[in-house]
Amino acid sequence: MSLLALAGVTKAFGGLVAVSDLSLEVRPGEIFALIGPNGAGKSTTFNLISGLFAPDSGRIGFDGADVTAAPPAKRAHLGIGRTFQVMQPFHDMTVMENVLVGELFGHAVPKSMAAARSDAAEICALVGLAHLADRPATALGVADLKRLEIARALATHPRLLLLDEVMAGLTPTEARQAVTAIKAIRDRGTTVLLIDHVMSSVRDLAERVAVLNFGRKIAEGSFAEVAADPLVIEAYLGTESDDQVESDGDHGQH
Amino acid sequence: MTGRTLGRALVGAAIAAAVLLPLAFQGTQPYYLQLAINVLISATLALSWDLLARTGQLSLAHAAFYGLGAYTSVLLTTRAGVPVLLGMAAGALVASAAAVLLGFLTLRLRGIYFAIATLAFSETLRVITNQLPFTGRATGLIAPALLGGQRAAQYLVILVILVVLVIVSGWINRSRWHFAFTAIRTNEEVAAVIGVDVVRFKVLAFAISACFAGVVGAYYAHVFLFISPLEVYSLAVSVGALVAPIFGGLYTTAGPLIGAVVLRAGEELLRSTVGGGYPIIYGFLLAVVILYMPRGLAGLWSAASARLFRRRPLREARAG
Repeated sequence: MSLLALAGVTKAFGGLVAVSDLSLEVRPGEIFALIGPNGAGKSTTFNLISGLFAPDSGRIGFDGADVTAAPPAKRAHLGIGRTFQVMQPFHDMTVMENVLVGELFGHAVPKSMAAARSDAAEICALVGLAHLADRPATALGVADLKRLEIARALATHPRLLLLDEVMAGLTPTEARQAVTAIKAIRDRGTTVLLIDHVMSSVRDLAERVAVLNFGRKIAEGSFAEVAADPLVIEAYLGTESDDQVESDGDHGQH
Repeated sequence: MTGRTLGRALVGAAIAAAVLLPLAFQGTQPYYLQLAINVLISATLALSWDLLARTGQLSLAHAAFYGLGAYTSVLLTTRAGVPVLLGMAAGALVASAAAVLLGFLTLRLRGIYFAIATLAFSETLRVITNQLPFTGRATGLIAPALLGGQRAAQYLVILVILVVLVIVSGWINRSRWHFAFTAIRTNEEVAAVIGVDVVRFKVLAFAISACFAGVVGAYYAHVFLFISPLEVYSLAVSVGALVAPIFGGLYTTAGPLIGAVVLRAGEELLRSTVGGGYPIIYGFLLAVVILYMPRGLAGLWSAASARLFRRRPLREARAG
């Protein structure tokens, strides 16, 4: 029984097919990684799962229910949470208030203001932002903004958490802390689906990996399995994980 | 004494002055009562505009709601014999209903596109009103007087409307709505993904905002006894509604009120002292405040009060 199931999902923008006939199953309690070169359709997939885009065809199921047509807020209430690749704090609010929005609106049954405030304070402490709780969100540095992204998503108490490149821009030490934090989140009962380019982190975290290239899934399995897949090596890993931006143009020659 | 108790004392004094002053002047100086009514009309429009702006929707449609309120009430009272106060309530409802429709139509528009769409809505209503057979067309309509034309009583009516709006605005800024509005204003997609029902809050803000703009339009009609499309559906009404909050301080209850009072009273003062060239000075002052005080006059006050009383965290100040 899968928690998240994509079946034959396709999304095109004009003539560009960003995601093509994608089928994917994420099991409860696992950490699943979606990797692939830039432009492979990973972020589009996240937008489809969180409801910001509607698929042209295919179905999206969450915990046995068909959510293909559900609006984003409804999906949040069902238990789908996400972070954004480009950090998007509510800059007119404090750190604590950013998290509070998730506590106030992220649940199917609304919480009282008092309960939401105390739960938001707990989340701040959990991600290590307690000492910054009353600072404006604009005062945070990159690593703390990433924490805030995660905290705000956690405040909706997701059963499935989508993490969009949370490692990008972190120092190696910060990235190791993030790996530990993500494992802790999973151990508290949240299933994790993540996108990342930092291969060492994906290797350390993910129990299963799917590889996208030009909107299609070209491989799926353990990190070791996909890393050994000739298709994957050709499409992606062979070009050195950190330089794929420049290498995008090369794929057409294979 | 803290900044908050001083603030409260000032609010109390302002309310007392607002109730007593015009009554004191009504016999000797009817001009001041008239001016006070004008100021409160501006203040109500400004604060109603700000409610909508808190969701990031910068409307140029407030003339539409104002005009709909005015025409609905005047038509009902003159053609159907409805009492004036009831007509005003109907005007508020019709404006609200139109706003819900406009809200749904403009859901996907942002920034300048939203502003242009709302302006088009307002202009369309003006053109339609100019053409319809029963609206008096460009000539306009004569309206029956509110409360037999007693200025002091009329003044108290607009004061009550404004006080109700102030209570609504204050409640919104202290409730969960404040967080929904602010989240939507900052980033709609992020707000939606963490569970905020964006459509519901945007449309609700439209309905509440237009309700007050509509009732003020109707009030205007029954106090000044004449309306025409050019006047009530004028872009000047919409611009006036947004200038005061920007001048006084956006997304607050006090800001739009301060902005309206200072701008409207200042305009009168300039007109009587400077005379013909006053719009130049008025425009200059407006530009200076908007350019150099991003949080408006209210921002100036909270900065000064923070300096004066020290150690006041931002959060506490906002809660108060």
